[in-house]
Amino acid sequence: MIMAAVASTNPSQLLPLELVDKCIGSRIHIVMKNDKEIVGTLLGFDDFVNMVLEDVTEFEITPEGRRITKLDQILLNGNNITMLIPGGEGPEV
Amino acid sequence: MADKEKKKKESIFDLSKYIDKHIRVKFQGGREASGVLKGFDPLLNLVLDGTTEYMRDPDDQYKLTEDTRQLGLVVCRGTSVVLICPQDGMEAIPNPFIQQQDG
Repeated sequence: MIMAAVASTNPSQLLPLELVDKCIGSRIHIVMKNDKEIVGTLLGFDDFVNMVLEDVTEFEITPEGRRITKLDQILLNGNNITMLIPGGEGPEV
Repeated sequence: MADKEKKKKESIFDLSKYIDKHIRVKFQGGREASGVLKGFDPLLNLVLDGTTEYMRDPDDQYKLTEDTRQLGLVVCRGTSVVLICPQDGMEAIPNPFIQQQDG
């Protein structure tokens, strides 16, 4: 974990990775850089925000919101993650 | 260089002045979002509240009014962020680069 010397990051604000950590065990909606979105139960993540998800549904946004449902666990590569939405249900299709 | 030994990661920009302000964020891949900045870290991961996402359609290019959706509280990955600015810090202007074509 990179620790920064910047003192101006005060503790009274909400740290992004803390919010993700609070989401462990709940549903989370991941938006990728491209038109793909993933909804699943968050089991954990690492420093690079690679994520382990369970009971996963994969959505393609462009072609009329096609859906691919996967079960069990997946490891989602954090390279292409743009947004994480705790408690999100995914796109409405 | 002696200061390579104790090189600390300093932000060149302080986001704390944007806390609780409405900001606009652009991402790699063309996505845009705006929301109230609730938190951030030195890696530029952000917490945005009341987030609205705008998506760029291939036909519309810059038309953002279509295809907006409300996302609520989101975490934005710093590795994906390319631009942060105040929500009212930008406006659309007519293209200044258009030149008159002669015959």
